Amino acid sequence: MRNLLVFLRKNYFILLFLLLETVSLSLFFNFNEFQNTTLYNISSTLTGALNSTFRNISEYFSLRKTNQTLIEEMAKLHSRLPDAYYKSDAYSFYRNDTVYLLQYRYISAKVISNTTNKRNNFMMISKGSLQGVKNHMGVIIGNRIVGQVVSVSPHFSWIMSMLNKDSKISGKFKKNNQLVNVEWPGGNYRYGSVKEVPKHVDIKAGDTIITSGNSDIFPEGIMIGTISDYTVATDENFNSGTLLFSTDFNSLGYVEIVVDLMRKEKEDLKETFKSQ
Amino acid sequence: MTTSKVIFYNVLRFFLLILLQVLILNNIYLGGFINPYYYVYFILLLPYEIPGGLLLLLSFLLGAGVDVFTNTLGLNISACLAMGYARPHVIRWISSGPDSLIGNTPSLKNQGMKWFLYYSISLILIHHFVLFYLEAFRFTEFFKTFLRMALSSIFTLLLVLISEYLLYPKEK
Repeated sequence: MRNLLVFLRKNYFILLFLLLETVSLSLFFNFNEFQNTTLYNISSTLTGALNSTFRNISEYFSLRKTNQTLIEEMAKLHSRLPDAYYKSDAYSFYRNDTVYLLQYRYISAKVISNTTNKRNNFMMISKGSLQGVKNHMGVIIGNRIVGQVVSVSPHFSWIMSMLNKDSKISGKFKKNNQLVNVEWPGGNYRYGSVKEVPKHVDIKAGDTIITSGNSDIFPEGIMIGTISDYTVATDENFNSGTLLFSTDFNSLGYVEIVVDLMRKEKEDLKETFKSQ
Repeated sequence: MTTSKVIFYNVLRFFLLILLQVLILNNIYLGGFINPYYYVYFILLLPYEIPGGLLLLLSFLLGAGVDVFTNTLGLNISACLAMGYARPHVIRWISSGPDSLIGNTPSLKNQGMKWFLYYSISLILIHHFVLFYLEAFRFTEFFKTFLRMALSSIFTLLLVLISEYLLYPKEK
């Protein structure tokens, strides 16, 4: 027993180091479990409050850009209003509208902290579970992709932005609906990479990539980016390309969270399929 | 300097450096490969006489302070702990003896350029190595991560040297 105490006293520095390092590495690798704890909620609330204070000051510097985005959005929405359509009463006929049931609702939120210079980037937004934000909801700005919600506290949520090694988005070519995977390889935040493009697909610079709607996170047709460069592989079955993101991740002021009202129905369907 | 004054300055530095890191440095974009982690300056500037346990505990808290702001809990903590653990060993290796250490805390002014460069480069490299490789955690990105680590280390070192010259200027 005494020998043990002597050993502990002699080596306490390295032992304490190993203990703390183990704690921290297990925190790092089991982060998803930690996110459900009260301590996490408290720390989120604190950092959220500090981030919003700082953001309240710094957002004045980007008002011009924010206004520009809002005006563009408004013009887009105006062009969808009934007033923008040609009215003809000469050929009136009855027709069942194919668009009648609301599937998506959007919650707007302010970005209060955001990074683009790390390998794994997250952003914090000013809406949380009290406003209806839930895990795994998609996040967009205008009609462009931003990321998805990964954890929620009562007033704030963390969003894993597209600029993260764990973000893999299922996209497709707008011109022929061929499916591709979009990732971010790190480095420049403007460029992502398109993986697993089948050989027979004619890939060209300037091709538009949109979300496929195959995952339950994003609606179909959200802009991801345009192909800026591509390589034709000689030995593999897939080509790959570089993609210029439509979203400027470095200047996000506001984002919209996509609430899929039919999500529960889809999940229930999957459950019943599994249990069969 | 009295002990209470030392504690006061270190506590102040602790919070100022975390705020500077998370509110300003994390938001600066320099080509996607340079991302300085200047907050480690806190560990560099702790007194020589600090007990090992306290050194590790402060490293842990410093890392945690930065981690809660980037949603990467454990990442900066691990890097800071490695740096804190290495610190006494590095000091022992590069100094000729306990008598060669002048003053309470490591500084460019007291120890000279060569000593301070060895000291800060090795500790910054240890911190950045753990941080960038744990963050990427992929062997396919080995060289890309190496480039990011090297460039960021240089930038962190530059910031540390600039602050040494600005905050503790040589007396004439």
